[in-house]
Amino acid sequence: MVKFSRYILVVIAIFSLAIALPRLYWISFEKPIKAPSVFYSCVDNDFFMIRPADGGILTNSNGDEFTRDEFELKLPLNYSRQLTLNRTMPDSINGVEMDLHEISRNRSFFRVRPKDIDTPLPSLYPLFESQSGRANLEMPDDFFRITWRMEFLDSKTNKILEEKSRMFSAVLYNRGFKFPATSINGLPTTRKSCDEGYLVIDGANQLFHIKMIKGKPFVRKVDLPEGLKFKHIACVDFSDKLYYAYLFSTNHEVYVLTQYDYMLQKLDVAETHPELNEVRILGDLFNYTITSLGNGFISTTVLDKDFKFVDTYKESWLTKDERLEGKIAHLLFPFELKLTDNKSSYIRFFSAFHSSFLWLIVSLCLMVLHFIIIKKRKENVKNQIADLAIIAITGIFGFIAVNFFPNKFFM
Amino acid sequence: MWKGMIYKEWLKIRWFLLIYAGIGILSVVYCFIRVQHDITFSSPNGYWYFLLFMGGQYFSLLKFLPGIGALAIAIAQYFPETVSKRIKLTFHLPLNENKALLTMWLFGAGTLFISYLLQFLLFTGLSLIYFPGDIFVPAISSILPWFLAGFACYNLTALIVLEPVWKYRIFYLIVAVLFVPLLLQSALTDGFSPVNPFMAVLVLLSSFSLLFSGYRFRKGEM
Repeated sequence: MVKFSRYILVVIAIFSLAIALPRLYWISFEKPIKAPSVFYSCVDNDFFMIRPADGGILTNSNGDEFTRDEFELKLPLNYSRQLTLNRTMPDSINGVEMDLHEISRNRSFFRVRPKDIDTPLPSLYPLFESQSGRANLEMPDDFFRITWRMEFLDSKTNKILEEKSRMFSAVLYNRGFKFPATSINGLPTTRKSCDEGYLVIDGANQLFHIKMIKGKPFVRKVDLPEGLKFKHIACVDFSDKLYYAYLFSTNHEVYVLTQYDYMLQKLDVAETHPELNEVRILGDLFNYTITSLGNGFISTTVLDKDFKFVDTYKESWLTKDERLEGKIAHLLFPFELKLTDNKSSYIRFFSAFHSSFLWLIVSLCLMVLHFIIIKKRKENVKNQIADLAIIAITGIFGFIAVNFFPNKFFM
Repeated sequence: MWKGMIYKEWLKIRWFLLIYAGIGILSVVYCFIRVQHDITFSSPNGYWYFLLFMGGQYFSLLKFLPGIGALAIAIAQYFPETVSKRIKLTFHLPLNENKALLTMWLFGAGTLFISYLLQFLLFTGLSLIYFPGDIFVPAISSILPWFLAGFACYNLTALIVLEPVWKYRIFYLIVAVLFVPLLLQSALTDGFSPVNPFMAVLVLLSSFSLLFSGYRFRKGEM
């Protein structure tokens, strides 16, 4: 049992060191990777980049450099306020008159990061009154959940509001909703222009729009193509009021759900993985620019206002693991453990096992060193075989662990 | 003889245990006095919203308490044993040495568990007055690693205090300082839920760690 207790301590030490040592290494030696920002010019019909990694130079896709003023003139919809101030804003572009109000109304920015998706989500939401007749939205006293029925809980009494719960549950049931809900998506804040309720996926993967109008339930089932399932739905509140949400399907497609007529429109863009890469969607008067920013690459696709493909741009660079500091990490550590990651808001095990096997060199050296220590202590090597095996597999972590908790008594 | 041994352990830790249990209960009560105050000065719906969507944690005061309590009880229980190597008297009793050590651990960890349980039950009861399960269950998932940190702290402090060689005490301390904060790092409410089961098993296994330094102590490692 004493031997068992020692191995438990060795495991705890390896576990702690596999988190602490790589973290210390990366804090000391990690260099920032500055990804370029990519824009699409409606003037030149070309991509323009801000490159912070190269001192913030401004280029186009051919690598031609521009001054700030030249750069801003190429992107009038992004810099409309500055160009107006400079009195250099063009009167019209592509035959369309430039009206600042229209530019602003058509401008939208959306961003979703992997950690926004892999995050603990609440199971209670406020259902706002969508047509209160008031200029500002008001936070309701009750919050709802959708389990075996739709239940409203009064925050003042911490009790279920039976009448309201029954009314909403009955309407949902009559519309074919299969309880419980698997995903509730909305904008649970009073800081929005108006309330459009929630887009809810039920137990049978059906999509419903639920809101409250003058205290009564509004439930609308959205027709989905056969087999289409969504992994993430992000509701938006843009001033053009063209659609309710961006919907990311399990087969990596992106859709928008149009307002009032509930049409699903597919964006003509390559596979999108918001659970792995940051996705940004920039809308303006002429185009939508969809950017995926991942580990070592940026990919930007431009669509027209009908979501049809216009152009695409890709660029890649060395990842953290491919750089010199990454290769040294592969040599020093057989694997790296983390409890936190920039792709998740959860605390969980994020392990990276190094595929290069360079770490075996260090492991071998440490095994030899441990062998010398054993011999110096005049101990029997046979009793230390397990420790040598631990060092072979876990490298520097195991070497420190077996020496912190010495084995010299078990002979 | 076992009764006498348990009585000896009780004499060592009783005041620390009672003071810690008292502070623990008062802290839980204070958490809810603060909840009541915040609800009164804002509104219940505003407070629920704060907890659900703005990362509010009404239980944050409890974060370091289990660890501090465990540290105090472990030092009170094991430090006197190292003064003049008194634990050797226990090893000379006609008892199995490992069994004697595990009995000491069981008593210390058991009393710690009871004081944690009292805090937990009070926390549960008061939570359910103000909040539904949708708010309370994620809160439990968030405070669980803090209580696990308490047990880890107790086990590793026992290991360090009973270790006879200073060099190794420092090594164990390094491991403890690396391990315990993993359970105390900042996270969103319910953020710890994926690792809680694994961490619970690891902390449970660390209960045997006492045997290692106890073994070294009785073998006369210098």
